[in-house]
Amino acid sequence: MKLIKKHIPLAIVFVTGVLTLVSYYVPHKVSVDYIETMNKWENIVVAFAFLLGLISLFFSHYHKIKRKGDGWGYSLFVFIGFLAMIIPAYTSGGKQMVEGVLTPLGWAYKYIYTALSGTMFAVLAFYIVSTAYRSFRIKSPQAFVLFVAAFILILGKVPLGQIIWDSALGWTGQNAAGVIEWIMSVPAVAGKRGIMIGISIGAIVTSLKIIFGIEKQYMGKD
Amino acid sequence: MIKHKAALALFLSLSAPALLFAAKPAPEVKKAAATPAAINGLTAVDMPYDAGNAAILKWPVDPAVAADAFYVVYASSLQSGGWVEADRFAAPAKTGKDIELPFWAWDGSVLEHAVKVELNNLFGESGKDAVFQFRVAAEKNKQVLAESRAVSVTPAGNWFRLDRLNNLVLLIALIVIFFWAVSHAKRKGLFIRRIAGLDAIDEAIGRATEMGKPIFYVPGIGSMSSISTIASAFILGEVSKKVAQYDSQIKVPHFDPVVMTVCKEVVKQSYLEAGRPDSYREDVNQFISADQFSYAASVDGMISREKPAACFYMGHFMAESLLLAEVGATSGAIQIAGTDVEHQLPFFFTACDYTLIGEELYAAGAYLSKEPMLLSALKVQDFGKLFVMLSVFFGMILVALGARFRWDSFVPAILNLFQNY
Repeated sequence: MKLIKKHIPLAIVFVTGVLTLVSYYVPHKVSVDYIETMNKWENIVVAFAFLLGLISLFFSHYHKIKRKGDGWGYSLFVFIGFLAMIIPAYTSGGKQMVEGVLTPLGWAYKYIYTALSGTMFAVLAFYIVSTAYRSFRIKSPQAFVLFVAAFILILGKVPLGQIIWDSALGWTGQNAAGVIEWIMSVPAVAGKRGIMIGISIGAIVTSLKIIFGIEKQYMGKD
Repeated sequence: MIKHKAALALFLSLSAPALLFAAKPAPEVKKAAATPAAINGLTAVDMPYDAGNAAILKWPVDPAVAADAFYVVYASSLQSGGWVEADRFAAPAKTGKDIELPFWAWDGSVLEHAVKVELNNLFGESGKDAVFQFRVAAEKNKQVLAESRAVSVTPAGNWFRLDRLNNLVLLIALIVIFFWAVSHAKRKGLFIRRIAGLDAIDEAIGRATEMGKPIFYVPGIGSMSSISTIASAFILGEVSKKVAQYDSQIKVPHFDPVVMTVCKEVVKQSYLEAGRPDSYREDVNQFISADQFSYAASVDGMISREKPAACFYMGHFMAESLLLAEVGATSGAIQIAGTDVEHQLPFFFTACDYTLIGEELYAAGAYLSKEPMLLSALKVQDFGKLFVMLSVFFGMILVALGARFRWDSFVPAILNLFQNY
């Protein structure tokens, strides 16, 4: 039992991990074909897993409606939304446009899905303002640095800000565009690169932990 | 009268180009009156360190060819004819130094031209022993000044990318340090610095238990092949174990069905390890949507309605990071976030109470589990960062010295060492 539950999965992870790692250093067609095959397998697994996801989604919302849980009315929209897309998709044969005319699927995609997605994305603008307001309440030296950098950027990006800069800080001989350029290309890039280097090393070490079987939480307890 | 003159001028101006073209034949590349000179020394070799779908052409730089002339490279997959233009460049350009390979893998010289020809772009996938022909012509003002004889090559796939040797050496060094740290951890144990964001997890779960409200754990929109999602699954294991111990509630909304399947097993296992398998419910992990904004809208709705005591955002996030974190902040939840997407970190910094920066996300699972073997990996991360810091410091000094004292071949060699190929 231990062989099936522990040793074989660990061996699969090790062999697959090492082969994938080695393929980065082997340019031969054999290596390229191996990666392509793995990608195809991944796509097949994802397709089946999507079915599982759909079943999970329907069951959880069905049970919520059945027991009239909090906000059960919203669960109805899961089924309505699903039908609003799947029926037009079926009747249109999966095509959004035929001879320059929108099919029912094209209509649903353009006037329901795209509109709703656009609305959600637009909400982001309001959240940025409320987040900015919260972060501009200076409570620590770090928050002060953030505020100063953000204030200069905001000032330099609007025409009125340039006029304010010129009248208030024109005596420094620097213009707002130059200061913004410096902030974006020196301290911001330095910080970003530091984070990226840390992330890359962390990713390598995490991969090594999984390949060599040090991290095996995904398999459960021994 | 003026109208007539204007009409005549317009007619003449429009018909002038037509008359010109009528007088001359259509422009075409033509050979000079005399026989074109020969381009000697053209050789074609297989492109090293590739899958066998490129070739390199080399021929000596000829100072006699004018700077405003062009070299045109022709390629054919047939034994005769079938020539297609593969490349065209100004005569002084493209020497051996311009091939993007490091000094240990390529001996490029400025005294010879070197042109890489991607054959699969020109002819698609080719057979194993396909032979390709090449010739080069020097042209100026659409007249052929010089021509080479045709040469041929059979490209072959290589088994090792020597240009990535620097990368391989670094990887081997990391693996050696990794095993040293693992064996050291087994024997002596390691000191690990405190990470505030992870220490706050206990506090957040305790708060949720006291308030009798659920905890939301959002694993982001990454797939299971994303390292940050894998790290997130490890953290979820530790968080759900604590949730099970405190008999609190956790909800894990998913974007990816594969991630959901893995997380289901992770959470179930954590409840088992905590000795509370009876508290585990199948709807802890719930698939929401595989669309970014539908997912964000749905999770936002759940947070707004259920007012969780704590929200965890761990994994790969894009534009939905702020959509989720801001709603969590307004609902009054204690929020802990961690992502490896560096341009989403500012949003988490401003909207969350604690944020794990970059590699802290990968360290979190090990840090929370407190298992010496896993903790040793944190030490490797620290050694890796130390190595990078020292390399950057000394590399900077060497490059500055090289530039100051004009060590022309030394500076590119140092830069080659740090470049990814």
